[in-house]
Amino acid sequence: MVKQKISTISAIMLTLSIVVSYITSSLPRTFINESKSAAILNIVYITAIVLFIILLFCKLLKKFPGLDLLDISNFLGGNILKNIVGGFFIFYFILSSSLMLRNFCEGLSVVYYPLTSYVFVILMFIIALAISNRLGFISTLNTASIIFPLVLISAILLFCGNLDNFSFRRIYPILGDGFYNTFILGLKNIGSFGGICYLYFLPPMLKEPEKLKKIAIISVICTGAFILLCVATLLFMFSFFITTNEVMPLFSAARYIEFGSFFQRFESIFLLIWIISFCCYLSISCKFATHIFSKMFNLSDMKPLLTIFTILILGISLLPKNYAVSSSFETDFYRYLRIAIGYILGMLILILANLKKKKVGEKN
Amino acid sequence: MKIKEIVNNIFSYTPPINYKFILPDNSDTENSNNIQTKGNIPEKKENIFASLDVNLDYIKMKYNLLINSDIITREFILNARGKQHKALLLYIDGMVDSQSLNDFVLQPLMMRNKNNLFDGDQNRIISEAVSNNITVRKVKKFDLADYIESCLIPQNNIEKTNSFDEIFSGVNSGNCALFVDTLNIAFNIDIKGFKQRNIDKPQNEIVIKGPHEAFVENIRTNTSLLRRFSNNEDLVIESLEVGTMTKTKCAVCYMQNIANNDLIAEIKYRINNLDVDSILSIGQLEQLISDNNSLGLPRAISTERPDNAVQHILEGRVVVLLNGSPFALILPAIMIDFLTSPEDRNLKTIFSNFLRAIRILAAFFALLLPGLYVSVTSFHIEILPTELLYSILAARESVPFPVIFEILIMEISFEIIREASLRVPSPIGTTIGIVGGLVVGQAAVSAGIVSPILIIIVAITALSSFAIPDYTFSFHLRVFRFLFVFLGYAAGFLGIGIGLFVYLSIICDMESFGVSYSVPYSTMENLKSTGIVLPPIWKREYRSAYLATKKSQKQKDISMKWKFQ
Repeated sequence: MVKQKISTISAIMLTLSIVVSYITSSLPRTFINESKSAAILNIVYITAIVLFIILLFCKLLKKFPGLDLLDISNFLGGNILKNIVGGFFIFYFILSSSLMLRNFCEGLSVVYYPLTSYVFVILMFIIALAISNRLGFISTLNTASIIFPLVLISAILLFCGNLDNFSFRRIYPILGDGFYNTFILGLKNIGSFGGICYLYFLPPMLKEPEKLKKIAIISVICTGAFILLCVATLLFMFSFFITTNEVMPLFSAARYIEFGSFFQRFESIFLLIWIISFCCYLSISCKFATHIFSKMFNLSDMKPLLTIFTILILGISLLPKNYAVSSSFETDFYRYLRIAIGYILGMLILILANLKKKKVGEKN
Repeated sequence: MKIKEIVNNIFSYTPPINYKFILPDNSDTENSNNIQTKGNIPEKKENIFASLDVNLDYIKMKYNLLINSDIITREFILNARGKQHKALLLYIDGMVDSQSLNDFVLQPLMMRNKNNLFDGDQNRIISEAVSNNITVRKVKKFDLADYIESCLIPQNNIEKTNSFDEIFSGVNSGNCALFVDTLNIAFNIDIKGFKQRNIDKPQNEIVIKGPHEAFVENIRTNTSLLRRFSNNEDLVIESLEVGTMTKTKCAVCYMQNIANNDLIAEIKYRINNLDVDSILSIGQLEQLISDNNSLGLPRAISTERPDNAVQHILEGRVVVLLNGSPFALILPAIMIDFLTSPEDRNLKTIFSNFLRAIRILAAFFALLLPGLYVSVTSFHIEILPTELLYSILAARESVPFPVIFEILIMEISFEIIREASLRVPSPIGTTIGIVGGLVVGQAAVSAGIVSPILIIIVAITALSSFAIPDYTFSFHLRVFRFLFVFLGYAAGFLGIGIGLFVYLSIICDMESFGVSYSVPYSTMENLKSTGIVLPPIWKREYRSAYLATKKSQKQKDISMKWKFQ
């Protein structure tokens, strides 16, 4: 898929672009909903845990330099396992992008286009996706590299612009609903680091595969910091009862920014940046799914597949009956799917492959 | 297009076109095309050899005579005092005065005139002594070099030298060099004859603190301009022909010790593989050798300034000249090049960066301002401060049309005025601008066809498009702003956002001769020489990394030695 290799910074941007789309739609709400006033503490805790997992992941991957999860599955269980693992990840990428698209478009529809059906909003994204799919993979990454700094600036501006509206007391009680809820039940939030799943397939695409560890660590830390910035903005601004009811919580926070009486109500500019970033996410997900598919069946040209996957994303995004269904699907199912596929399945394959390699090494 | 073709285009499978040129990071790879380079030859100062053949071989190697088309070596027989010597003249076509060369160099040396005949009286007796009826005469030994200098070449400025460096420097600046067999010196003869002030001032790329010379239609004059500015024998000017009928002369110019071999080979490959009847302008050549793109963005810099062309050659790019065209193509080109003016290099860094930022802002306005106006007034009015919103609404109160119609009227009128002012004779052009801009604008507002705020938007957009240094790039922005107007009207910032994503993706996908079009802003690697912001002149130590040049460093870490030694 990727004839030109990805640089280290582009790879980091890729993983960060994934999380931006989660944040702009509903991730901060989930954090605050789960952990209440301990959301910040929970993010720090989750970041530390994911950092540990990612170090383990890098250690396990060390014996398979330049190979991705599909190659490793092939080594472990032959073509059958490779296809099963590939199928799971395709399912995950397509489903996640479809539901994210639906949620994001429902949000947009509520905020700006109340008289327009969300289907038209979805169609606009699908058209953008179809056009960008005709271009190379590197182009999407480069676009993400241009847009992510703007997204970061928007998040910082969101935080700084709302400083006057902050009430830092909202951090108390510092443990939220208690230790158990924050640290044990709060473990579910490791699914927020969605960029991890993409790291499994990065090694063959990297210009310098030996820097995978660096990429993974920086990505996790930056993702953590980014989530922290956005969640902190919401937590300090609103009572968590209000936050949990908002369709696009960050968008609501953007409404309160004002610099004097002339510069007010910037939220639509923020939305403009987030829309572009969301398109990047969709394109990356679609291209990763296609890449896995073409690798599973040794296809040389993946362009015709991209159209099929685009139509598939459109179809799945239209499946939920309404926003409540798609939103609850995300909260109740999709998060666990992310943990199951991203962490458990991936790690399991890596651990077993390492054991097999050790066994093979001993035999030889 | 037939319906069947449309359906086929959408649904049928078309195998991808695999032709893709990627510029390798390292130019000296084994796969690099074999262009004779001096990369491995140690830089050693050579003295002139006594053998003419050895000198000729050295010149051939130094100047790449096999591929360099404008370097001339003229071998002939020199007559000096009845004896004949093999000799050689070295000069650059287009830089010497041919008349002077024929009349005052070749003719005296080749013809058997009085000076060349030996009549015995020419022996100079210094002293004479008679002893035992034997006369001892002290005769000054005949010195061929002195004799040629003082008797044979009627030139006011001639120098003898034994160093190739001095000779090459002279030849590069328009002199002619004379080598004679058996002499380990050569003559540096001043017969410069290149075109000087009849070379006109640049019309489009005007700078204040730079040279005021522009290319002309004659390719040889243009190559001589490049030679003069570069003043280096490593500059290679290869001659090619394009067009089966016109056989238009084309020159590919590059520094052989800097430019990437694969880049040179690719450009030559594309030019050599053009099967067209005629090429009459550099614009046609640009379209034929560049990859197609749906946005119509230029992928080569066109310049009329030789100093600009040489600057890029020294940076590691390749310049293509075409006979009959007063422009040079600079390859490859990235997006930021089209927002850079030749004046930037002559200004202090702070001003250059300020101007660059202004131009980027101008490009943003030229592309997006009307679209943003339409989307704000149609969907996002909350972004406007209340007072401004009231004044806009008040101004639009008398306008019966929707905002899209209003903006299209003004934008199309503006394009018509612009096109009309180009077509009429220049004295009337200004009048058309005034009539079109002021009278029509004012009348349209008075008639209630458009609102005054829209005139301001269209005027700022127009001025912004004029601020773009490159004409083609400005054209591209002018055309695509209509697309953003429609997207803004259809879906507000959502439409603009989707449009921007597609636009950025296409730009990030584009390449110009193997170089990503969006560097340095997208591929954030090797920041030391990418030039996101123009560094101070003393800090421009490296050539752009994306050009993969043979020499990455162009000046020492401490270039201002006077300050730090």
